[in-house]
Amino acid sequence: MEKMHIIFDADKCVGCFNCQLACQDEFIGNDWLPYTESQEKHGEKWIKTTRHERGRAPITEVAFVTEMCRHCQNAPCEKAFPDAVIHRDDGIVLLNAQKAKGNREIVKACPYGMIHWNEERQTAQKCTLCAHLLDEGWNEPRCVQACPLRALSVVKCTDEEFAALTAKQHLKPLEPGSNQPRLLGRNLYKVNTVYIYGAIVTRADGVERAMGDANIVLSRSGEFITSAITDFFGEFKLDRLPKNSGEFELTVSVNGVEKHCQSVFVGEECPDVGVICID
Amino acid sequence: MALKMAKYLPESLIGMFDKSFFVGTLFMIDPLLNTLASAIPGFAKELEGKDMSVQLKIRNNTKGRQIFFRDGKVSGRNGVYDNADVEMIFESEKIARKVMMGEMLGKTEDFVDAAKNTALILNGPDEKAMWFSSLLLKIFAFDVLYLGNYGEAMPNGEKRYVTCTNGGVLHVYVKDGKIIRCVPLELRDDDAPAWSIKAHGRTFTPPRRATVAPYGIAWKSLVYSPDRVLYPMKRVDFDPDGERNPHNRGVSDYVRISWEEAIDIVAKEIVRVRQTYGPGSVFWSRGSHHLWGSVGYFTSSAARFFNCIGATSMMMNPDSWEGWAWGAIHHIGESARRGGLEPYSTVEDCLQNAEMIVFWSSDPESTAGVYGAQDGTIRREWFKKLGLPVVHIDPYCNSTAAFMGGRWIAPKPGTDAALALAIAHVWLTNGTYDKQFVADKTIGLETWSKYVLGESDGVPKTPEWQQEITGVEARVVRALAEEWAKRKTYLSCGGIPGFGGACRTSRGTEWARAMTCLAALQGFGKPGSNFGGLQFGTPLDTRFYFPGYADGGFSGDYFGSGAGVTLYNRMRQSPSVNSEYQKIPRLKLPEAILEGHAEAYTYDNYSVHGQFRKASYPAPGHEEVKMYYKYGGSYMGTQPNSNRFVDMYQSDKIEFVVNQSVWMEGESRFADIILPACTNFERWDIGEVGHCGGYIDKSFLQNNYRIIHMQHKCIEPLGESKSDFEIFQSIANKLGLWQVFSEGNAEYDWVRRIFDSSDLAKKISWHSFIKKGYYVLAPLGENQRDPLAFNWFYDSRKRDVPELAPLPSEYYGRYNEGLQTPSGKFEFEAQTLKRFDPNDKDRLPICTYIQPSESEKSELFEKYPFRLISPHSKYSFHTMGDSKDSDLNEISEHRMNIDGYNYWVFRMNADDAAEKGLCRGDLIEVFNDRGRVLCALDTTQRLPRGVVHSYEACADFRALGVPGKSPEVNGCINTLTSSEMIIPRAHGLSVNSCLVGVRKWEGEMVNPWKKCI
Repeated sequence: MEKMHIIFDADKCVGCFNCQLACQDEFIGNDWLPYTESQEKHGEKWIKTTRHERGRAPITEVAFVTEMCRHCQNAPCEKAFPDAVIHRDDGIVLLNAQKAKGNREIVKACPYGMIHWNEERQTAQKCTLCAHLLDEGWNEPRCVQACPLRALSVVKCTDEEFAALTAKQHLKPLEPGSNQPRLLGRNLYKVNTVYIYGAIVTRADGVERAMGDANIVLSRSGEFITSAITDFFGEFKLDRLPKNSGEFELTVSVNGVEKHCQSVFVGEECPDVGVICID
Repeated sequence: MALKMAKYLPESLIGMFDKSFFVGTLFMIDPLLNTLASAIPGFAKELEGKDMSVQLKIRNNTKGRQIFFRDGKVSGRNGVYDNADVEMIFESEKIARKVMMGEMLGKTEDFVDAAKNTALILNGPDEKAMWFSSLLLKIFAFDVLYLGNYGEAMPNGEKRYVTCTNGGVLHVYVKDGKIIRCVPLELRDDDAPAWSIKAHGRTFTPPRRATVAPYGIAWKSLVYSPDRVLYPMKRVDFDPDGERNPHNRGVSDYVRISWEEAIDIVAKEIVRVRQTYGPGSVFWSRGSHHLWGSVGYFTSSAARFFNCIGATSMMMNPDSWEGWAWGAIHHIGESARRGGLEPYSTVEDCLQNAEMIVFWSSDPESTAGVYGAQDGTIRREWFKKLGLPVVHIDPYCNSTAAFMGGRWIAPKPGTDAALALAIAHVWLTNGTYDKQFVADKTIGLETWSKYVLGESDGVPKTPEWQQEITGVEARVVRALAEEWAKRKTYLSCGGIPGFGGACRTSRGTEWARAMTCLAALQGFGKPGSNFGGLQFGTPLDTRFYFPGYADGGFSGDYFGSGAGVTLYNRMRQSPSVNSEYQKIPRLKLPEAILEGHAEAYTYDNYSVHGQFRKASYPAPGHEEVKMYYKYGGSYMGTQPNSNRFVDMYQSDKIEFVVNQSVWMEGESRFADIILPACTNFERWDIGEVGHCGGYIDKSFLQNNYRIIHMQHKCIEPLGESKSDFEIFQSIANKLGLWQVFSEGNAEYDWVRRIFDSSDLAKKISWHSFIKKGYYVLAPLGENQRDPLAFNWFYDSRKRDVPELAPLPSEYYGRYNEGLQTPSGKFEFEAQTLKRFDPNDKDRLPICTYIQPSESEKSELFEKYPFRLISPHSKYSFHTMGDSKDSDLNEISEHRMNIDGYNYWVFRMNADDAAEKGLCRGDLIEVFNDRGRVLCALDTTQRLPRGVVHSYEACADFRALGVPGKSPEVNGCINTLTSSEMIIPRAHGLSVNSCLVGVRKWEGEMVNPWKKCI
């Protein structure tokens, strides 16, 4: 059985919010019963994009994460309210529009905060993956169709095929757990991890010069973790380090000769080891 | 039954008609009209209530037929009688036949020619003559106009139409007269294929999709906005025959009036003001980027209307180009592009040959170039995949930097020229520049070099020197300069070359000049070394003609639009010229009205030296303007020091203000009469995606496909709103100008005429086009692509890129050889400036660094310690799309919800905010001597310390209390910006040099939105 799978790529999301706008366009002012009633004009958005920043100016990296209902295989909402949740054969999880009416409790059943309360209609609602359109033959939900780079995309295949794709492309759920979400992310390191930034320079005659091609190695207790080569600005980033991963050793070598060694502490934020001058 | 019959009508009618003409019976029009009326209820409605007669005749009275419209029926008799309401007189039978057949087939060339030669005369009351004339045009358009035979029927009963916006082209799904959804145009398999570029062993082909910008996809919410003006309105305390109470503009409420009353007041005021105060006493202006289309846009119907009445017009400052227009063109030319630079084939060259891109004050990801939706994003992702270095120089870590990555360098606002000079210093010192190019293709480096190296003023412009000014480490600048000299580099300035926030700073002329000087030192035009950031210059077919909106539509405005280049000659139309030469410089509009005089320099597209002319208001022999006809409501959002506009509007020096607007926003609320215009979803139009023509020739080269689109009338106009065209037509009728304004054609007819005049008519039939709604033009073969921009210059060929500018007289040597400079070479020392004033310290013949007038060196800095930049918005197109309860307001990066209201976002470095005790989501007051604005605070590391950022162009100026005297609460950032000129001898803004203070708002929390209608 082919099922719908959603992939979000943090490296491709440009933060245009077209997905949110397309969702608003489709659902505000339009009732698509029995799938769902219309979305509240100023209410919670069924698809959300959030900005994340790493580092400090001017070594700042910006990424956006777009999320909606995960259409979990083991959906917590379904567990809590089996009667009010329709789990379709294609994997799409829908709320039963009639049973969601007046049922505020369903909102709490989603650990990701992706079930919303429509104050105007007094009903619980969420992303339907535009099932009303897919059922009419559309290939993609509105959010995907409006995405310029398909940072958001859908794949229709069997769960087995998708598992292979997941392994091949290193897709990861947005958060840990056992709910088996159908929304997986690519390049989430841009959000979940931190980098160590620094610059290697030389000074002569009062002029500071960037030292390109220096080799930066990060290790812990003698074990190699990662490395980088400084760019023409003399700068490096040692990326994809788990947040709060603690103390590391950083060594700088030029032409195979070790020039500098220091320890770096990796906490919640990206550590900046600053400008390292090598004579 | 009637409908079914109607489908078979056209052919039989044509036959019947032709036959009747051939047998010599003129004008068998009455039976034809009766047949149509009995078959089509919509057509019968046209005849309802008509009681009039029309005499059709040959001038010498040898032949004629009189027809009568009465009780919904048409009758006729042969002969010539002198008692008809309307007379249609033809010079000869031959002309009569040509004109009548042409009109009814929707081909109006013969009508235009005959009318111009007075071989066709229409007499009678305007309304009746107009009605009859337009009825003829409707005969063969009946299936479209009355049977709705256009667009595509979807299986579920929805109808799918096409329209375009300044943010991309849309499919519009409609059911029961209501828009259901707007989606990016869905290309079909049988549409023309895409081009490919081979580079670095890969093949890059754009996906089969049209993209949209956020302000493109949110249109349904704008069409159905609660702030739509649905009825003509009059300010409650405005009495054209008594007290006008101008001081209450922007304060008083409005009452609904009838169209008849509204048009009557406006027409009477035009006549009264012009007869009382003489030439130019009516002033009109519009906001840029009003809607979209060739017929209904401001360069078309509005231009034609105001030309008809001879109005004082607004003198445009080249608002997005400023520093280029007033600075860079003296070195490199390109006056027709206002200092923008030719783009041809740069996308292919950049991907194949560039080894680095420097984006300098360049954020195409936010501005979409201009009208480019997100097609360029796709191409920038290709470059990202190549893994080559990318550098971004901008005080804000903008969206392009965020998306592409690479090194972000953040000079203090307005100091970019110092950074550029330091790069030149490194190159000149190290001798790492293209010496051959400099020797062969440039003049004046010796003079500039003396300044850069400090020989002329004792200050070498070293990386260390600039560090003091820009705040950027010398090491970073030196490293960039050295790498740049090693790598073939594309320099991207602005969304498309010739734009950029740095060119809208005080003395931003010097930045733009510096950009061209740096490019010249590295030899622009050689493969891999050019201007652009993959936004402009795709390998599309430039030899296929379709007009852009700035080509003037049906304006006939040979001088005021791009019509003269091509369109005027291809679409026969009567000319229109504004006989009124008086202009008011836009940046001094409030002063012009309040103080009664204003002066500014005139930007001239035709020549470089034309900008040394000064325009004065009032012009000789003129009184001050007394009536202001404003089209839309954007100036308070887009023009500096917005509070000035409140004083202007409330002055009794303007006796009458009419605002023609789709929405109640911004300045609409300062009018005496408001005329409700509809959106382009509610009227007919035609155009091409991203194509403006005129001042941005071939701007469709920002797209991945050339898509020429219909703008279907998707729904009926909401309320009593009317298209701009119809509104102008109604006023024109009152002034006896009906035929002069529109040649008796409706919008639909003009859309068809544009189609017929273009190369599109050779590719697809009108019938198929209005069904499908768009046409994708196939790209040229790989070996037919346009020559690379400026490669002709680098390679000493004649200029071989596909554009006519510059004018022949702008070549001082042989035509078509060299740049638009006196020497034909790149001039490091500009001869035009040397001749104008070699000692103008604000614009010397060579590029220098000049301290912005409002900066950390100013006295004000102590009081207002934050440097504010307000670049073009990402989520709205200027004011288009913002406010009015649009879906865009819900974007958390555009507006932020605090206590139920979406406040405008204002960005500040997180450490600065923490130091001031401010948090993300706080309601703050941004202030300086010019005003106060409430905003929602966002804290970020996308700004260095001391710099704050908020987009320009909130659409809806709303004051907390007395307008102009109390805080603005809706985020109108221009309330704070200075209206000082970029340099004294120009007409350009400098809004990105602005000092402000920031504090937490301690006043009451207010929900500023209230429904005004």
